[in-house]
Amino acid sequence: MPRRAFAPPPREVAPPVSNTRIAMLVVIAGETMLFAGLVGMYLVFRLSRPWPPPDLPRLPLALTTVNTFVLLASAWPMTRALRATRRVAPRTVTRGIALTALLGGLFLAIQGAEWVRLLHHGLTLGGSMYGATFYVLIGCHGAHVLIALAWVAIMAAILSRGRLTPRRRAALEMCGMYWYFVCALWLFLFPLVYLY
Amino acid sequence: MMRRVAALVVVLLLAARSVWAQSCAMCGSSFGQNDPVTRAFSWSILFLMATPYTIVGLIGAYLYFNYRRSPRRRRASVDALARSSAEDGQGDLA
Repeated sequence: MPRRAFAPPPREVAPPVSNTRIAMLVVIAGETMLFAGLVGMYLVFRLSRPWPPPDLPRLPLALTTVNTFVLLASAWPMTRALRATRRVAPRTVTRGIALTALLGGLFLAIQGAEWVRLLHHGLTLGGSMYGATFYVLIGCHGAHVLIALAWVAIMAAILSRGRLTPRRRAALEMCGMYWYFVCALWLFLFPLVYLY
Repeated sequence: MMRRVAALVVVLLLAARSVWAQSCAMCGSSFGQNDPVTRAFSWSILFLMATPYTIVGLIGAYLYFNYRRSPRRRRASVDALARSSAEDGQGDLA
């Protein structure tokens, strides 16, 4: 009998990059192209005329800088939560993502208050191209933060009740990737819209 | 079959019909040489052109480095080494 007949079957080894991670990368690539289109639109208006127009209010830089730090700070508890999934420490995971959700909510609340002030000062969506580009670009990012926040909140609710199974760990990893994406996106949009 | 070929020939003939080349109203050449709109469009086009390459490059690099660091690849190289040394050993015995 040939020796190969007794060879043990090959062990199941996880692929270098999981399918869920690749799927998330595809989603993020698509979202990036959406924002690239919006930024392209913004650049056309930004570079072709005096910006900001003299009769319109300036964007609140100090408050938005603080808000930027709030959003960036939210990436830290998410990192801690993701690291804790490897150590299987469910309490640290839940605490981390709850804090992420809290900071994300704070970011959206500050941005909402900023928008209300700008609307009161006359910067509206339909009033000028300056307002239109600002609300569309920043609003699209805000909508993405809202979606990511809902995802984080759902993950926090699920993990606070049940065990940390491999499927849940994978879901949390995807959630973390999306959260990092919205944070990184803001790092690009903030200098472009508020500082440039 | 003949009908399909005839339909294809008709389509190709229609496609070969000469038409006036028209530029888009938003085309950069519609504006003057030093017009800020031309500059704005140029930067926007450059940005939109660079973004897909950047995304594909970053994702490709991520996948490549993950593959290089993966335990499967390491195990495959260890298996290959073990196999070659076993073959060498057999050769010595023979």
